[in-house]
Amino acid sequence: MASLITCPHCGVRPKEEFAIRGDASLVRPAPTASDEAWHDYVYVRANPRGRTLEHWQHVGGCRRFLVVERDTFTHEVHSVTDGAAFARENGK
Amino acid sequence: MIRDYYNRNALDEKLRGAPRPPGANHLAIGHRQAVSMVLAVAGEEDSVEKLLSSATEFTGRFSAPGEWLVVSENDTPEGLQRRLDALCSDKAHIVDQSEARVLFRISGPSMRRILAKGIGLDLDPNVFATGASANALCGHIAVNLARTGEDAFELLTPRSFAESLFDNLMTMGREYDLTAAFAA
Amino acid sequence: MTAYRLTAGGLVDRSRALSFSFDGRPLRGFAGDTLASALIANDQLLAGRSFKYHRPRGIVSVGSSEPNALVTIGSGARSDPNTKATVAELYAGLTARSQNRWPSLGFDIGAVSDLLSPFIGAGFYYKTFMWPAQLWEKLYEPLIRRAGGLGRVVLERDPESYEKSWAHCDLLVVGGGPTGLTAALTAARAGLRVILADEDFRLGGSLLSETQAIDGAPAHVFADRVVAELQALPNVTLLPRTTVFGWYDDNVFGAVERVQKHVAEPLAKLPTERVWRVVARRALLATGAEERPLVFGGNDRPGVMMAGALRTYANRYGVAAGRSVAIFTNGSAGYQAARDLHAKGITIAAIVDGRVAAEDAAPEGTRVIRSASLIDTRGRRRVSGIVVERSGFEELVACDAVGMSGGWSPVIHLACQRGAKPVWSDTLSAFVAPDVGGGLRVAGSANGVYTLSGCLGDGAAKASAIASELGFKPTQDVMPETGEEADPSFTALWYAPGAKSKAFVDFQNDVHTKDLGLALREGFGHVEHAKRYTTSGMATDQGKLSNINAVGILAGMRGVSPADVGTTTFRPFYTPVSFGALAGTARDKHAAPTRKSPLHEWARKNGAAFVEAGPWYRSAWFPRAGEKTWRESVDREVLNVRANVGICDVSTLGKIELFGPDAAEFLNRIYCNALLKLPVGKARYGLMLREDGFVYDDGTVSRLAEEHFLVTTTTAMAGGVMSHMEYCSQVLWPELKVRFCSVSDQWAQIAIAGPKARSVLQQLIENDISDAGFPFLAAGTVTLKGGLKARLFRISFSGELAFELAVPAGFGIAVADQLMDVGRAVDICAYGVEALNVLRLEKGLPTHAEFDGRVTPDDAGLGRMVSPHKTDFVGKHLSSRYGLTAADRMQLVGLKPVDREKDIRAGAHLLREGMKPSTLNDQGWVSSACFSPVLGHHIAFAFLKSGRERYGERIVVWDKLRDQEAVAEVCDPVFVDPENARMKA
Ligand SMILES: [Zn+2]
Repeated sequence: MASLITCPHCGVRPKEEFAIRGDASLVRPAPTASDEAWHDYVYVRANPRGRTLEHWQHVGGCRRFLVVERDTFTHEVHSVTDGAAFARENGK
Repeated sequence: MIRDYYNRNALDEKLRGAPRPPGANHLAIGHRQAVSMVLAVAGEEDSVEKLLSSATEFTGRFSAPGEWLVVSENDTPEGLQRRLDALCSDKAHIVDQSEARVLFRISGPSMRRILAKGIGLDLDPNVFATGASANALCGHIAVNLARTGEDAFELLTPRSFAESLFDNLMTMGREYDLTAAFAA
Repeated sequence: MTAYRLTAGGLVDRSRALSFSFDGRPLRGFAGDTLASALIANDQLLAGRSFKYHRPRGIVSVGSSEPNALVTIGSGARSDPNTKATVAELYAGLTARSQNRWPSLGFDIGAVSDLLSPFIGAGFYYKTFMWPAQLWEKLYEPLIRRAGGLGRVVLERDPESYEKSWAHCDLLVVGGGPTGLTAALTAARAGLRVILADEDFRLGGSLLSETQAIDGAPAHVFADRVVAELQALPNVTLLPRTTVFGWYDDNVFGAVERVQKHVAEPLAKLPTERVWRVVARRALLATGAEERPLVFGGNDRPGVMMAGALRTYANRYGVAAGRSVAIFTNGSAGYQAARDLHAKGITIAAIVDGRVAAEDAAPEGTRVIRSASLIDTRGRRRVSGIVVERSGFEELVACDAVGMSGGWSPVIHLACQRGAKPVWSDTLSAFVAPDVGGGLRVAGSANGVYTLSGCLGDGAAKASAIASELGFKPTQDVMPETGEEADPSFTALWYAPGAKSKAFVDFQNDVHTKDLGLALREGFGHVEHAKRYTTSGMATDQGKLSNINAVGILAGMRGVSPADVGTTTFRPFYTPVSFGALAGTARDKHAAPTRKSPLHEWARKNGAAFVEAGPWYRSAWFPRAGEKTWRESVDREVLNVRANVGICDVSTLGKIELFGPDAAEFLNRIYCNALLKLPVGKARYGLMLREDGFVYDDGTVSRLAEEHFLVTTTTAMAGGVMSHMEYCSQVLWPELKVRFCSVSDQWAQIAIAGPKARSVLQQLIENDISDAGFPFLAAGTVTLKGGLKARLFRISFSGELAFELAVPAGFGIAVADQLMDVGRAVDICAYGVEALNVLRLEKGLPTHAEFDGRVTPDDAGLGRMVSPHKTDFVGKHLSSRYGLTAADRMQLVGLKPVDREKDIRAGAHLLREGMKPSTLNDQGWVSSACFSPVLGHHIAFAFLKSGRERYGERIVVWDKLRDQEAVAEVCDPVFVDPENARMKA
């Protein structure tokens, strides 16, 4: 787990300022999507060893949801981007 | 029945009694100031930021992308609202936060060491220069921190947390004999 | 008298004598002493008893690697167990007690276990105490804990204060010896922000015990000069008495500074200890190297010490551990110790050298026994001689202290705390730091550079490189002149052959060579297994001295290189850190921040009893004179609200304002009920689901203008709902044009409820608030007489005619006072959250006691709220799945005890009459209960299987917690005014 996260809006901050919400790669299904799609979206989570995308909310700062790309094994943080920008680019 | 209601500062209880002379490291609590949250309309973030930074009657503090806390020493809350309406009501939503935030004005030669006990930001002037502002955690409490001088900072905190933050700051400042009083 | 204070020399201040006590014995030392050096000066080498065999143990080392000399310092609540005497700085009035002995250090009954030692070898606990299992907790564990264990924990409240601080720097230098000092100076002169931390109270490290001259002056003078220059630089922070204990991700370091551990009477304004979190762009490990003990028969006898420690005690502290010292060495360091001791007038009984040949110079006239092994020691509580074996011949050499020197191990702990394993170096016969990238580098002895000039140069060079890398211009410094230096070589010797008695590897945990052999034979030869099996390296010193020998011995037994054995895993903390220091100021009331309502003082002066609700203090009830129980107060408040009027502080509810052309659409998607067509000036109850279809929160939604809304949340969920809304707006629907902002702290909000609410409130308000002028669920801005702008909502959480008035927070108390004043004529009262709860239960309104995360809108009787017409909202899809719509789900019902005298408590379960309590027979549970003063008996909310079909049925309320049972009648949960006539009056 990273000790510091570089918020694209606020700069380098201790991890205590953030709240982790979980997998950021999920895309909310359409309301008419299948039960399976909804079940997967709400309940099923991967537990990868390696790179993963997560939503970290900067609750102690700008309160933006950020997409943190980090490695669960090496703890390296590869990128931190704004969640809304990420959402617009992916699946929206 | 017509009456004027008394406005009570959130730290009235804490700062009761005769004020002691301020020490070198001092915490002054703003008794009355106007604070507004300015929320830019989508797409108008940059122009709102320009308008706010060009103003001299108040200072805008960065809160989040497209969101600023505006602090005015001289305006009333209504006055600031009018001023901001005139400036950017077509580009932003303006929310009065004068009663929602307590202003902690803290200054003195040991300020950086005191604040480092609660705030994880690097407060080196080369990193966080005079005029810079940001939301941050002080201990467990959310604050908006602004640097107003080499050794001077202002913290805006939600009113309900004011007593806790006050206690924290006084503990943090104990080593450097931090004093506190309402601002003159 | 064998150990003593030398007549001259050392860096102690002989003009400042300090009195202290050890086990009640008054003793004296000097300023600049550690407790250990002062004990040695007083011939008190015996410092404790060992963990398992209770063998007498003496001071071994001179720093934080000390395995034996653990003492309790201080008394009462201020006592610190397991403090290393070798790092404890002496102060006037220090009281120290030895540990793990009874009745006394000299005579310890537990020592009988030493005689039993053949029966308590490695793995003893695992093998012996396995059966019968029930005896473990009752018998074995308490017994072992009493026999083993070190210092005792104090159960009194810790009176010390602690704090934490952040620090940011370009370069963190860990270690203030020759390497660290030149590194810090080089970096500081180049303009880097430098932090230099060292666990010692005096900076200088080995320079303080070095006899070699630097620039023609004693080494400690050089150290003082560098420290003085560093101290004067504004970009340098010096942290003596500070142990860097951990290296964390992103080059963040944890360090603990012992601010006032060395003073008898701590200043109130300073913490006792301070934990630093250092964010370092670069860090340099200049932690030096640890001298290795030698593993030989009887090597744990008091008086057997590290050779380097003897040297430091003599050179830095001016104390000698013995008058006639034998040295057992396999390298040049033993000779250097011998030379320095000899120069101080201490006799060198002999130098026993395990090597065949060596070029090291022994002091004049000293006997050197080469190709020899030390196989045993003599003496009782103090060594009196050694048995040396050479070519099959044994010889007894008399001495009163032994210095052992087994070579050097770089101190690389920090570099290995993040997963990288140490790397074996055949050249150095030692594990060295792995390459962990540019953030953390290793220099000096920690890097296997053992000469003084090498350390000075390596520190400067590494700091220079770091400075350039960070864009600073390092200045060209002239290296100090150090003169000729001895060859620092050694030949690894893991185990001195021929031991005639126990040869200890781990002193603190009493692990000897045979234990390691047993571990290997029983299949625990892997280094991590051997550690757990023998407990080698598991004591409070974490094997700082012993681990390397354990690895070497295992390697020897397995016939492989130490590289193949490897090391155990390194983790923070490097040395133990107190819980107090880790907690910092976050304890007692400051464990978490508290929040106070703007009406807190109003409630207090009206006599409120407060209850903690999350971070909030909420007024629970307002006792009046003569009321003996809380129930009396609550009953009165409830009846008064129903009969007259009451006011209640509801400021703690979450309040969020939303703006923008898509605000209505946004709200329509996060609430399950329809909100698009909510008219301006109106409020509506809103129900929020989670995506899984269960209820998340409820509140009100008011439309203040076409594109301006105000929503309220429950107190408990205010933060969560805000985050949820931010998630929805930023991640799910970033295309919606909506902005929002918490206004929870801006407003003091007062509920005014009761049939006389309007008449009281109208006296304060300019606007018409008659039922026609301000009907049920109206919401909008009003003006108080005098001009103050406020917001008014006609909403009710009690079933009575009610309003919620929001005024700017600072005016809250004045307005509440005014309401109480004008309401006095109609017997207004203040009421708290307890009465609020009774009022809402009587009226049949569910809240978070009901919305516990397992409840759907339909379960709570709110199924009609879920809009069937909306195309999407959070929770829409999964709320319609089979399991959430089944007819036999638990549904919200009311309960009345059939025997009206009986009470019902929340948490009780429901059973059909005559059925045994079991999971299978469970019919539901009670979620809320109270005494209803209006009905004169208890009422409850319960979730009952298919409950709404079962009104009128009798059900058993089974309360195992209080061993009570009551029979109740199932009923509609609305107990009062089901027609809503009062609310809409
Ligand atoms: Zn941020």
